[in-house]
Amino acid sequence: MSGFKETLKDAVRQMSFRTSLDSLKKKGVQQVNVLGIDRIIALIEAAVHRSLKSRLVGVEREAVADATKAEFLRMLRTNEDLQRQKSEIERQKEMVEDEVDQLRREIASQQQALELRLEEGALSMAARYEGENAAIAAKVHEVLKALAAAGSSSITDAEERVMALVMDIVSVERQSADEARRALRDREVDTLQRRIKKLSESLDLTEQRLQSVAAMKSLDGGISSIYREVQGVDFGDVQAGKKKELMAEIFKANLKLQKKQ
Amino acid sequence: MSDTKQTEDAPKKDHGVLYIGMDLGTSRTSVSASNGVRETVYSMVGYPKDVVSMKLLKKEVLFGKEALEKRLSLKLYKPLEKGVLKYTGDAAKDAEAKANLKAAQDLIGEAIRLAKPRKDELVYCVIGAPAEASVKNREAIIEAARAHVDSVMLCSEPFSVAYGLDWLEDVLVVDIGAGTTDLCRMHGTMPEETDQVMYDIAGDAIDEELSRRITETCPGAQFTIHMVKDIKERYGFVGDAPERCMVDLPVDGKPTAFDLTDQIRAACSILIDPIVKGIHKLIASFDPQFQTKLKNRVLLAGGGSMVKGLDSAVEKAMKERLGGGKVIRIEEPIYGGANGALKIAHDMPADFWEQLK
Ligand SMILES: Nc1ncnc2c1ncn2[C@@H]1O[C@H](COP(=O)(O)OP(=O)(O)O)[C@@H](O)[C@H]1O
Ligand SMILES: [Mg+2]
Repeated sequence: MSGFKETLKDAVRQMSFRTSLDSLKKKGVQQVNVLGIDRIIALIEAAVHRSLKSRLVGVEREAVADATKAEFLRMLRTNEDLQRQKSEIERQKEMVEDEVDQLRREIASQQQALELRLEEGALSMAARYEGENAAIAAKVHEVLKALAAAGSSSITDAEERVMALVMDIVSVERQSADEARRALRDREVDTLQRRIKKLSESLDLTEQRLQSVAAMKSLDGGISSIYREVQGVDFGDVQAGKKKELMAEIFKANLKLQKKQ
Repeated sequence: MSDTKQTEDAPKKDHGVLYIGMDLGTSRTSVSASNGVRETVYSMVGYPKDVVSMKLLKKEVLFGKEALEKRLSLKLYKPLEKGVLKYTGDAAKDAEAKANLKAAQDLIGEAIRLAKPRKDELVYCVIGAPAEASVKNREAIIEAARAHVDSVMLCSEPFSVAYGLDWLEDVLVVDIGAGTTDLCRMHGTMPEETDQVMYDIAGDAIDEELSRRITETCPGAQFTIHMVKDIKERYGFVGDAPERCMVDLPVDGKPTAFDLTDQIRAACSILIDPIVKGIHKLIASFDPQFQTKLKNRVLLAGGGSMVKGLDSAVEKAMKERLGGGKVIRIEEPIYGGANGALKIAHDMPADFWEQLK
C-alpha cells in the first residue's frame, strides 16, 4: 500500500511543472495557495475511495481499488517503455546506417567478382584453345614425320587427311566440352547476379527504413551547393552585357513588387 | 535590418550559397538547385480531414502523389489551379482563398525542402511564375517563399524557359501545361499583356477528349481519367504513328486489348490549331522588321510538348498558314523552367540579392 503511495507521489511530481515567482507575477498572479504533496496524495486516495464507496461495498470495493492501482502502475510502466522505444529508434537508425554502408560495399565487391568472372571466362577459353591447337599440330607433325621416315609417297595428301580426321574429332569434343563449361559458368554468373539483385533489394529496403527513421527524428543535413560565394554573370559569356541588363530589369520589377508590402 | 535578425536566431550562413530555380506550375512544381538536386512534385497539398485520418496518416500535411493517393482521407488543394494562386487579397472574407494560400505556402516550403538546402548556406531562389499571374498573386508567392529562403525573386515562366537556353530576345515560347497553353513572345524580361495569348486547350483537355473518344469507340471499356492521362503520357503523338498504341482496358473486369492509335492521334491533335492561331496572332502584331526572326524561333515547352511529332506538326501548319517557320522542342520539358530560373539566380549580382533580403 505504501509502495503505491510512493508511486503516486512520483507521478504527481512528474506531472507537475516548475515555474518561477517572477513569471507568475508577469501573468498577474499575486498570491498562490500552497498544497503539500502528501496532502495531494491523500486527497487523491480519498477521492478514489469515496467515489468507489458510493457505488460498491466491502470486498468488491477493495478488489476494484486494487485493480485501479494495478492499472495505474501499468500506465506508468508504459510511459517508461515509450521512453525506451525512443532511444531504441535512435540506436536502430545508427545500425541501419551501418547496414547501408555494408550493403553498398558488398554490392560493389560482388559486382567486381561478377566482372572478373566474365573476363576470366573469355580469357581462359582463348588460352585453352591456343594450347590445344598447338598440341594437335605437334601431334600431326609427329605422325607425318613418322610417315615420311617410312618413305610415304604423297605427304601433303596424307597431311590433309590426317588433319581433317583430327579436327573432326576435336571439334566434336570441343563442342560438348564448351557446352558443359558454359553451363557451369552461366550458373556461377547467374548466382552472382541473383545475389547482387538480392543485395540491391535489401539496400533499397534498408535505405527506406533509414529514411523513415530519419524522418521521424527530422535529422537532415542537406546537400552542399557547388558555390562558396555569390556568383553573377560569367565574365567570358558572349552575351554578358545583355544578360546584366536583363538581370537589372528583373531586379527592378522585384524591388517594386517586394518593397510595396 | 534583416541582417541582425539573421545572426540572432539562425545558424551562421557561412558555408556557401545555394541557388534554387523553381517552376511553380499548375500541375507540377519542379526545383533545380546548385547542389545538383532536381526534384518535381505534383502541385497538390492535402491535410487530414479529421483526427482519425491524422492518426492514420501520422502527418499534418501531404504533398504530390502521396496526397493524391490518400485523397479520400484528405482535404485536397491544388493551390495553383488555373495557373495562378487562388488568392484574391481578400483573405479575411474568403476562407477558401486563405486555405489555398496556406497550401501554396506549404507547397513552396516542400519544394524548397526537396532541394535539400543546408542550414548553414545562404539560399537564393528564383521562381518562374505564370506570366499572367496578377500582382496580388505574385505578392502571395513571394510572401510564401520568403518564409523559407534568404532572398527570392520572381520572373515570368516563359522568360526563364528561354533564358535557360540562352535565347535572350525575340523568342516565342509555347508552354503547354495541364490546364492552359500559354504563348508568350519575349523581347525583354517582363512580358506585357499584349505579348501573351492563353488557351485552355492543354494536357487536361487532351485527357477529356481521349476519354470521350474511348467511351465512344470501345464499348464496355472501364477506365478513369488518371488511366487516360497515363495512356496519353505513354503514347501521345500527332502525325504519323510511331507505333501502334495497344492498351489493356478492363471490360467487365477482364483486361481486354484495344488499339487506341487513332483515338490518341485525334485527341492530341486538338493542341495544334490553338497553338498555330496564337503564334499567328503574336507574330502578326509584332514589329514587322523582326517578324521573320520570331517566326523562326518558336520554342515548345511544358509537359504537353512531349506529345511526339508536335514540333513537326506545328511547323507544317505554320508553313500552310504563315508561309514558314521553325519550331524547336525544349530538351527537358519537366525541368526547363526550373533550370532557367536556376541560371537566372546564378547570374543575379550579389547586391541585388542583398537589397531584397
Ligand atoms: N510524355 C507526355 N506526353 C504528353 N503529355 C505529357 C507527357 N508528360 C506529361 N504530360 C502532360 O503535361 C501536362 C503537365 O505539364 P506541366 O508543364 O508539368 O504543367 P504545368 O506547367 O501546368 O504544371 C499534363 O497534362 C501531363 O499529362
Ligand atoms: Mg509550367
